[in-house]
Amino acid sequence: MNSKQELSAQDQIKAITDNFENVGYICNKDISTALFLSTSLQKPILVEGPPGVGKTELAKATAEILGCEMIRLQCYEGLDESKALYEWKYGKQLLYTQVLKETLGDILEGAKGLDESVKRLHEFGDIFYSEEFLEPRPLLKTLNAENRVVLLIDEIDKADQEFESFLLEMLSDYQISIPEIGTVKARSTPIVFLTSNNTRELSDALKRRCLHLYIPFPDVHLERRIIQSRVPDVAESLRNRLVSFVQHLREMDLKKIPAISETIDWARTMLLMHTDTLDPELVKDTLNVLLKHEEDISAVGSEVHKIMRELEKEER
Amino acid sequence: MADKTLVHFFKALRGADVSVSTAEAIEAVSAVNMVGYQDRALLKITLGLVLPKTVDEKAYYGRCFDQFFSFSAYDNDNEALEGELADLDLSQLENNDPSSAGEGQGKCPGSGGGSGEGESSGNQSGSESATELGKMLLEDDQVALSMAIAKAANKIGMTKITTLTQKGLYGRRIMEAMGLDEMEKEMWAAEKQDNDAGDKLAKKLRSGRDNLREQIKDYVEQQYVLQAAQTGKELREEVMRSVKLEHLREFQDVQRLVRKMAKKLIAVHSRRRRVTQRGLLDVRSTLRNNAAYDGVLFDTRWKATRVDRPKVIAICDVSGSVSAVARFLLMFLYSLSEVIPKVRSFAFSNSTGEVTDLFERMDMEKAIEETITRHMGSTDYAQSLVDFKELCLDAVDSKTTVIILGDARNNDGESRSDILKEFYDRSKQVIWLNPETRSRWNTGDAIMKSYLPYTNKAEVCNSLNHLERIIGKLLKNS
Repeated sequence: MNSKQELSAQDQIKAITDNFENVGYICNKDISTALFLSTSLQKPILVEGPPGVGKTELAKATAEILGCEMIRLQCYEGLDESKALYEWKYGKQLLYTQVLKETLGDILEGAKGLDESVKRLHEFGDIFYSEEFLEPRPLLKTLNAENRVVLLIDEIDKADQEFESFLLEMLSDYQISIPEIGTVKARSTPIVFLTSNNTRELSDALKRRCLHLYIPFPDVHLERRIIQSRVPDVAESLRNRLVSFVQHLREMDLKKIPAISETIDWARTMLLMHTDTLDPELVKDTLNVLLKHEEDISAVGSEVHKIMRELEKEER
Repeated sequence: MADKTLVHFFKALRGADVSVSTAEAIEAVSAVNMVGYQDRALLKITLGLVLPKTVDEKAYYGRCFDQFFSFSAYDNDNEALEGELADLDLSQLENNDPSSAGEGQGKCPGSGGGSGEGESSGNQSGSESATELGKMLLEDDQVALSMAIAKAANKIGMTKITTLTQKGLYGRRIMEAMGLDEMEKEMWAAEKQDNDAGDKLAKKLRSGRDNLREQIKDYVEQQYVLQAAQTGKELREEVMRSVKLEHLREFQDVQRLVRKMAKKLIAVHSRRRRVTQRGLLDVRSTLRNNAAYDGVLFDTRWKATRVDRPKVIAICDVSGSVSAVARFLLMFLYSLSEVIPKVRSFAFSNSTGEVTDLFERMDMEKAIEETITRHMGSTDYAQSLVDFKELCLDAVDSKTTVIILGDARNNDGESRSDILKEFYDRSKQVIWLNPETRSRWNTGDAIMKSYLPYTNKAEVCNSLNHLERIIGKLLKNS
């Protein structure tokens, strides 16, 4: 643990932050440290947080920085290994057997009795269960990839508990056992992100294998920087005002709180409207960009004037 | 040394309700080796990524970290120093700590211990102290003092502290390990000299010692909170589980424990139900169905196991004699309603009333309070059973489990066990939970023997352990 090494750890983290910024992903130190640890400890990152704070975006940005491919596995109820790992190309197998029927007849010609026919067939081995007929799904693709890839297992909480257990081997050793072929090991260690919206509690076994990163809603400054980077054409005064407005909404009792992605959408809307100021009528008209429930819209709609006045007061 | 600090931190974390497994601990150490101790903020982020695994745990972790790695003495001076403290060379520490000679390292020069007093007279003129502790106090070197305290605490096994009352003892031991005795002797010697320099030195030492005492008191307090919280809690839970229900009073804590127990049961049993729901491949039926497709197994048939959703009807005696126990059964039923969708709860003393809707509308504490105030009275089993029959005998079918909680003390009234027989005949099972021990079931005005023939099971239930076992069995059989 010499000082030079420690220094480089800090520098690396700083460099990661800068790189993220270059590709338009503004992040705090937590996130860049997580990525640094993940690459050096070779551990997956489990990302949790409310919807729309940039969990999926993080994986995309990472792939962009490292200049590598991103493989995405979207989880849903009933997802099983045939969709996540591999599948035999049944159609191709069937087609080939039909086409080869004749050939098979030729091969078996002259064979006496069942024993000899089977023996001859055996000589051809399991052609139909070779890599040729294997349809790789995201996980197998990841393991087979020549270069390092970013694997995003999105919304793991939506998958069944069985699938979670199935992932354990993959996550801890970066390998998977396929009965017909054997154990497939990763050629290069992938960077794995798992995201969860917390619809159910994940098992301890899974959590234990991952670094746990929680991305909360950003504070005012971070959100301003994010908007600046994502929608650079919005004037500064408008940007500040609209971020404060959204931050204010997050403190209200709403069914669905607007996330960063909504703020970005809203900023883009403002840009389309060619406006430089945030006036209450306009806010009312565009609330549906920010809020996704009718009750929320009506609840906030009646408060818009009040909120705007408060924000003005704060700014002064 | 550094790893030892981390191990103590892990222990403190466990005390703060963050579960740290061995694998995670190993990982944390290697992560810390990577980022180092220089940057406190970075250290916090790093450990925060590796150790806590839920949002709640993150919050506990944050608090625990701040508490554990706080060295108030020089907090404002330099944050980075704090990290270094944990990572300091042993040799450096030994220089600051006279007591480390006892560690048997052999590295430490012999000057630390007993030789202090003899030299002291010679040095006093310049208001200097001969003992290490004295020097530190005179120089007011907070960093060295903090380190010496930490070192001494390590030496005496500070982490073994378990109860509040040991605080004084441990504080004293730390002082001693830091070389208090020699320092005091020096102080007294200086006082006896009767000259200005001596007085001045003694005064300085005395105030230094008093400050140090305060500092150590704070330190011990902090360590107690960090280290003993875990053992203390375990001990309390253990006690809560086995103590008789009527003696349980700390409502908040018990409520948490009951929730925890119910959650465990739910986790175990809800999982199994999903497996049975899917069922096995029904080979015979599949073959039969696919005869039309040339024998290609195209349309698979599954042996779906019909899931018996247990229906539970619980009736609690809330009269004076058992209300304390009923409170906990109600509490447990309340928590269990998540796993058993059909729980109907009734309460009785001299008449019976349904409280299911109360349970649905209100939170646990209020619902239970309301139930008890609404149905409090003197016991009348006969009338209560009549009411009970009217209210819900029709709802009882062969899948229903009836749980009765009561001591069967009927104030010498009628038993009306014939009604219980009706329930017994219609239901899947009748379980009677009696908070009194078996030997007292038929003493005094208790008429347990007239009900016993019409129960499938009658058990003593007077602790949370009993309750958990019974409910667990109930779920397993369903």
